[in-house]
Amino acid sequence: MKKILAQAWKEFMLFRRDKLLILLAVLMPVVLMLLAGGTQSLRLRNVSLLVYDYDNTMLSRTYVETYGAALTFRIVPRKIDESPERALSSWRGRAALIIPPNFERDFRSGGEPVVQLMIDATDSNAATALGNYAQSLNTNFALKNGIIQIPAKAVRMQQRLWFNPGLSNRLYFGTGALGLMLIIFPALLAALTTAKEYEMGTIIQAYASSLTAVQWILGKALVYVLVGIVEFVICFAIGLIAFDYRLPTDPSVLLVATLLYLLAGVFFGMIMGNATRSQSAAIQGVQMGSFLLSLLLSGYLFAVHNIPPQIRWISDFLPATHYVQIVRNSILRNVGWETSLQPMVLLLILAVVFFGLNVVQTRKMQFKG
Amino acid sequence: MPAALRRYFALATKEVQQLRRNRVLLVQLMLPPTIVLIVFGYALNPKVRDLRLGVVDESLTAESREFIDSLTENVNFDVTHEYVRAQEAEDALNRLDLDVFIVIPNDFSRTLGRGQTAEVQVVTDAVDANTAQIAQGYLKMALEEYNTKSIGDPIPGYRFRSTVARSAHPASPPGAPQVQSAYLYNPGLVTSWHYVTGVMSIIMFINASLVASALAVKEKETGTIEQLLMTPAQTGEMLLAKTSPVFVIMMLVLLISLGVGMLVFDLPVRGELWLFVVAGAWAVLAGIGIGVMVATVSKSQQQAQLLTFFVNPPITLLSGSTSPIENMPIFFQKLSYLDPLRYLVTIVRGVTLKAAPWSALWPNLVALATFAVILFAISAWRFRKT
Repeated sequence: MKKILAQAWKEFMLFRRDKLLILLAVLMPVVLMLLAGGTQSLRLRNVSLLVYDYDNTMLSRTYVETYGAALTFRIVPRKIDESPERALSSWRGRAALIIPPNFERDFRSGGEPVVQLMIDATDSNAATALGNYAQSLNTNFALKNGIIQIPAKAVRMQQRLWFNPGLSNRLYFGTGALGLMLIIFPALLAALTTAKEYEMGTIIQAYASSLTAVQWILGKALVYVLVGIVEFVICFAIGLIAFDYRLPTDPSVLLVATLLYLLAGVFFGMIMGNATRSQSAAIQGVQMGSFLLSLLLSGYLFAVHNIPPQIRWISDFLPATHYVQIVRNSILRNVGWETSLQPMVLLLILAVVFFGLNVVQTRKMQFKG
Repeated sequence: MPAALRRYFALATKEVQQLRRNRVLLVQLMLPPTIVLIVFGYALNPKVRDLRLGVVDESLTAESREFIDSLTENVNFDVTHEYVRAQEAEDALNRLDLDVFIVIPNDFSRTLGRGQTAEVQVVTDAVDANTAQIAQGYLKMALEEYNTKSIGDPIPGYRFRSTVARSAHPASPPGAPQVQSAYLYNPGLVTSWHYVTGVMSIIMFINASLVASALAVKEKETGTIEQLLMTPAQTGEMLLAKTSPVFVIMMLVLLISLGVGMLVFDLPVRGELWLFVVAGAWAVLAGIGIGVMVATVSKSQQQAQLLTFFVNPPITLLSGSTSPIENMPIFFQKLSYLDPLRYLVTIVRGVTLKAAPWSALWPNLVALATFAVILFAISAWRFRKT
């Protein structure tokens, strides 16, 4: 135990000497957390809409207003003689609404005029959503203007939205961001110092000392887990202020999970350091293995069960997947140990496996007697 | 051969030899455009599938069973469980065994029999706002279909309209205007194209900056920078020699990732390919500029790598490569104009998917080039000072 602490103390002194590092450790989570929680959203707002009203009657203008009044669309001015195809291909709009010249007359004669909506489908998901949304605006227009009556209903649905009644995207991404923040920095630091020992050759000193591999690993990990805990406090504070975090009634789940998560992240970083023995390679390993994979596959951006099954298994090996789940359970759903037990166990297994890999990598260090 | 050119070639040869010996670096450079691009191209998909639906049927009548069948027959829900009491379903939702459940009250068929409107309750786990919204939409559509089918023909002249299956639009009610949606540039609504082009741009930019900063700071750390400074070469020549091998490799990476996109994901190239290459080149330069700049600020590789890591995620998140810029708060939208990657993403998508006209692309190209020149100039200036 004493040796572990001594190793940790040495590591801490090295960390403390680097002012820039400390600054980054504090600043990075603040800036990144705000960005990761604030910029990502799949809900469409202010989609620029070009209007080509060839009818230009009372009714067609009312129809256009229906779109203008919706938050999803924002009507933008268009050039007089530019075709909708050209305007869309120049990013002057994301969609173009084309109303034919006989729009009102067709109504009067009892017909159903066809309105065309051209959508820039480079982002196919957004495009589908826009198409569906336009359809529902269309129905609203018909209802409001007495063109159709509300059909009698046999069954009506009463919607209840649990845990996030405002359907706020900020809550979802804000909690995911917490998981993302805590995997980046501690893992990076651990990877870098481990690789540096090999690069500088100072690992020989550890070999020569009476430290065992396990003591060396734990000593190093301890410091960076502590750094991670400080970051957790900072991030949680930001979450409370900017992302409407709620305090869970049983915080023990979240705290234990955070500890396991940080351990898993730090051990993963050290694996990278041990394996590559070069700082630039180690950092790329961490970038790929923990940052990018966690960003995309952990459920921060898209729900895990939407990922195709051929790739979904990767998510199970990411500590972030289980941690983000626990964070959302605790902060948003406010459920306790019972629900979070499975991800917690998986998190524990990952941390232990990563630790074991470290021991295997450094087993050369073990001298007998 | 002029002396400057000779010096440049001598230094560049040294860099190439160092790079060749650095196997790890080469692997690092080649892995992202192939494996990573493929994995993410397949994985990134915001479509919702296999929602787990629970049913609490308190009515237990023929009508209620028919209602459940009609809800689930054409919507992608997995009916995982049927519960007897609502409390059980609530517990299941709390345990995350369900995404949504529906409660049919015990007076369901009696109310229907009286010709009144029956109410069912739908409870959704809304933590993931996007999924919850889509689930609501699905249920509403299914309900509308049930209503029209069971009530029959309430309005004269009503006919049930089938819609294009792929786009999954709910049909317009009779008498209302018909909206005909045309999906330009991607009529098959292939999801991967959007993300493949985004990830491609990210790889280009971020990798250039990571590798450049690693190489530049290494000389400093190992002390060999003193030797370099003693040579007759100018700092500009030194910087050029140092970065040109990286530049060449990154341009190769660019073409490989485009090739992977075209082969694996059938990514079309509808515009001018040379524009893609030119934009890629400017982006790589800008990336190298950021990398070298970071290297000059930091004292060790550790600091340099962490700084690039600090700079890169904001660049990625603000670029619009994963989440549309219009969806961001206004402040972040404004901020994104300072993000060189934003312009690259626009051009890459403009060239591959849209065949955007030159008049729309050149402002982006100019912005990208301006960033590259400024970043490179600053890094050269800082490099001299060290």
